[in-house]
Amino acid sequence: MLIQARQLYQSRDLLSSWTGRNIRARYQQSALGWLWAIFQPAAQVAIFSIIFTRIVPVDTGDIPYPVFSYVAIVPWTLLASSLTDMSQSIVTNMGLVTKIYFPREILPVAAMLARLMDFGIALGLLFILMVIFRVPFFPPALIFLPLILIIQLFLIVGIGLGMSAANVFFRDVQSLLALGLQLWFYASPIIYPISMVPERLRSLYFLNPMAGILESYRDILIYQRLPGPYLIQSAVITMIIFVIGTWFFKRVEFRFADII
Amino acid sequence: MKTHVKFENVTKQYNLGLTRTSLPSIISGWLQRSLRQDASSGVQSRSFLALEDVNFELRPGESLALVGANGAGKTTILKLLANITKPTSGSIYMDGHLSALIELGAGFHPDLTGRENIFLNGTILGLSRKQIASQFDEIVDFSELEQFIDTPVKRYSSGMTVRLGFAVASCINPEILLVDEVLAVGDAAFQQKCMHRIRDLIGKGTSIIFVSHNFYLIQAVCNRALYLEKGKVKNQGSPKEIIALYEQDLHQKRTAKLENLAHASDDETGDVEITRVDVYGTQSTESGSLVNNQPVQIQIHYNAYKPLGKVHVSVFIRRSDGLTCCMLRTKLDNFELSLDRGQGTVSLYLEPLQLITGTYYAEAWFLNESDSIGIVTRAGRSDWFSVKGSVLSYTDDSGVFEPHTRWSHQPYLPSSGNGTFAETQPVMTQLT
Repeated sequence: MLIQARQLYQSRDLLSSWTGRNIRARYQQSALGWLWAIFQPAAQVAIFSIIFTRIVPVDTGDIPYPVFSYVAIVPWTLLASSLTDMSQSIVTNMGLVTKIYFPREILPVAAMLARLMDFGIALGLLFILMVIFRVPFFPPALIFLPLILIIQLFLIVGIGLGMSAANVFFRDVQSLLALGLQLWFYASPIIYPISMVPERLRSLYFLNPMAGILESYRDILIYQRLPGPYLIQSAVITMIIFVIGTWFFKRVEFRFADII
Repeated sequence: MKTHVKFENVTKQYNLGLTRTSLPSIISGWLQRSLRQDASSGVQSRSFLALEDVNFELRPGESLALVGANGAGKTTILKLLANITKPTSGSIYMDGHLSALIELGAGFHPDLTGRENIFLNGTILGLSRKQIASQFDEIVDFSELEQFIDTPVKRYSSGMTVRLGFAVASCINPEILLVDEVLAVGDAAFQQKCMHRIRDLIGKGTSIIFVSHNFYLIQAVCNRALYLEKGKVKNQGSPKEIIALYEQDLHQKRTAKLENLAHASDDETGDVEITRVDVYGTQSTESGSLVNNQPVQIQIHYNAYKPLGKVHVSVFIRRSDGLTCCMLRTKLDNFELSLDRGQGTVSLYLEPLQLITGTYYAEAWFLNESDSIGIVTRAGRSDWFSVKGSVLSYTDDSGVFEPHTRWSHQPYLPSSGNGTFAETQPVMTQLT
């Protein structure tokens, strides 16, 4: 694992050029360009706000529903779009993989980093929303926000590496992932508060690492409180997933070029 | 003594049976088998030995050519060296910074510009941005692409892509350089430049592994050759010996095929095979160039493995950058041609050649009686030939051919006295 980290560090120039390439390629022929980074979550928030304030009201306490859902949708979008891109990153670059050697992790990791830029932009809008809706700022967020983000990135890398490698052998992975993300979305506290989850199911509910991660984002950004123990639990589960994902990737990476 | 590369009993096996992995097809496979009640014909995972027990060693400054028919394992060796794939058994020892030129444009992204691709490709080859920046001018200079460096690579010709690829791979001073056939695409002048560059690198201690069907290049560059046949090392020695051996085997195979009726035709060669295409001039310059206003003969040597009856021949003359200069067809010239079993030569006379200064090659095809379907599995291709015309160098604007020409000039004379031009018809000179 350490060797791998060092290798990745040594290839940081390649990682940054490949990330840049991904970003440029994505926005090259698009009229809205980076505005999509805001557009997509904003549109989702608009839809959910209408449904869950007018049609099926959800109690979010003092927090206006748009802010409440946006705080979770932005990190969720980072996860979902990263995983989708990552799962295809090796397969779409087979031409490169079969002809030239470089650390293979570059492809999925760069796919994620390119999405991280979108996350940054969307987060900017979140702060604007917080000012508009007069949500007070919680200073410890400055420490906790990067910490939670790092845990989330480890989770994404773990799953994404595994998916990208498995997809080389079975293209079902892509379809399976789309389905899985849909289920996962509803199994995570995005459109509803955790208080709506029955007490006796909570311990089961927090086995989903995204539950702890998203709840922690809400804690520091809108509830002005420190994250509960579920953040530690999520971090532990994340590490297990990360180790399994990278182990699997490393185990099969040399077989990529043999698949014709 | 230091070793750059060492192969020890290397075997590489590919599984070809991996294609059948979808659940519906597995189930239908089960059903079919149980219906036939034939348990023995299970899903056989066919495997293919690309390399078997290969041993060789390469020291600094040595250059090794890999010689062999298609599918003999040359590219597999390069892929193993480039760390793209791992051997099934045996061990590979490598020491040194590697630079690989496995295929045309590998590592280039078509949407990015030449400049961006130099950085991308350089970082893929393991350099830092700083290192690339310091070599950038040298790379651009070598590739001769200053004008196009900010153009997306997808607009490059194949020759330009190869130039850029070779420039990046060779300017980073690798310790081991792998070159796979790519140089065949560049023009002859650039090939010469690459040969110089490769020799320079060898002088500095770079080891080179070279795959090419061009025996002239192999002899010019390599000091050793490895003859591969069906994944095994058949022989190794000096390039000259190995090439002689290889050509001898090739010749024997063809003769055997001609003599053996039972195996008169197979998929590999088809019914007729073009063994060589030669281009001769009646007169050439000291350097061996053809002269554009002199007659030239193109000879197509063939082996026909069965009587084919009426056939047609098409010959293309292509310039080094890939431009087709002309297509010459027996059909259009109403030349009747009929092939029996055996060997022969079809000759085409260009009287005179009429191409401008440049580097070209001729490509020949046999077609069926209606001139619609090619009947050779591979086109015959001549070596590069250079032509000396009246202009010594050409630009994109100078065209392709130089017809026999004559000029004349007839000024309209002003009518006498008042200095104005006469409104009379110009006098046409009779062209004879």
